[in-house]
Amino acid sequence: MSFVWENFVWAIVAFGILYFLLSKYAFGPLFSVMEKRRELVKQQLDEAASSRTQAQQYIDEQKEALATARKEAHDIIEQAKRSSSLQADEIIEKAKEETTRLKDSAARDIENEKEKAIAALRGEVSSMSVAIASKILTKEIDEKDQTELVGQYLNEVGGKQ
Amino acid sequence: MHESPIIVLGGLRFDLSAIGMLLITVIVVMVLAKLAVRNLSVENPGKLQNFMEWVVEFVENLVSSAMDLKHGRKYISLGLTLMLFIFVSNILGLPFAVITEAHGVQSIFGQPIQATLTNEHAHLLWWKSPTADLSITAGLAFMVFVLINVMGLKDNRKHYLKHYVEPFWIFLPLNIVENIAKPVALAIRLFANIFAGEVILATLIKASVFGLPFVAAWQGFSLFVGALQAFIFTMLTMVYIGQATVHEEH
Repeated sequence: MSFVWENFVWAIVAFGILYFLLSKYAFGPLFSVMEKRRELVKQQLDEAASSRTQAQQYIDEQKEALATARKEAHDIIEQAKRSSSLQADEIIEKAKEETTRLKDSAARDIENEKEKAIAALRGEVSSMSVAIASKILTKEIDEKDQTELVGQYLNEVGGKQ
Repeated sequence: MHESPIIVLGGLRFDLSAIGMLLITVIVVMVLAKLAVRNLSVENPGKLQNFMEWVVEFVENLVSSAMDLKHGRKYISLGLTLMLFIFVSNILGLPFAVITEAHGVQSIFGQPIQATLTNEHAHLLWWKSPTADLSITAGLAFMVFVLINVMGLKDNRKHYLKHYVEPFWIFLPLNIVENIAKPVALAIRLFANIFAGEVILATLIKASVFGLPFVAAWQGFSLFVGALQAFIFTMLTMVYIGQATVHEEH
């Protein structure tokens, strides 16, 4: 194996040509595509990150809205409870008043009836006793003295009452 | 031993085998690269494009391990070309070799093949790995050597020149030897690996049928060696360039 310096030169020439051709026709486009892909990936990553933050924001908003709605519902229920108990109290109060009123009027009625009955009874008793007494005493006393006497007694009875 | 088909034209020796194989290497690499970038796609790369991008990233990592990638970006094309060129060169000689036996003087393009003038029964080797020729690997290594020194002088002149007399001026001869040893080692390492591989292949083939499994095994191993040598050559080139052009703050 001898050293052929012409081969030495040919190797450099061949390599130079290959370097020139590859750089011009192959690597340039390849590098630019790889660069584009890098940018694409970066862009997509950025997009993914931003949509993630957005999604997080939406979730937070939803959570907040849910919490508000829950609180509102709670308030409404509380209010309803309060108003219902208030109403119940009112109703009970009214019912009590009504009963008292009814009781009072019933008592008044009873009193009135009693008075009437007593008055009626008194009239009856007087006339009956007059009749009885007149039948018993017709023979002994005249009617004038009799009536005077019975009236006196009955007045005593009425006054003692 | 097999001889090169050399003809003399105008006082220059033309090694037809070396020139032809270099040409084939250039064409193979170019076709491969061209096929890879034929349907370039950002979102849906083809298989060959993926492979090529893998190679590019491999070389990128290689460059970035030797120097700052911002500084070394311009060397990526060089590294890629070196890698592809040397790898294809290394494996071209693996599948077969074309050897003709010349009896008496043979001529081509009207010029006598030199080896047949002196040797009655010359074995002319036409198809081989171009890197199995020391003059070709030396050409590549010389090119790298020039590149290292030129880039060192251009980008990093003060520190590049200063490193010759470091740590003391007495180390100047040693540093010069070191600098020259770089391309010599590059050339001889690549040549010896590939040449030895081809010699062993040729020897195994002489064992005919019994040698066949070994031939297959050795071809597989040579494929690995070819890739490894391409990697080593490229790696060392980048390391040398990094050493010469990048000044590290101590």
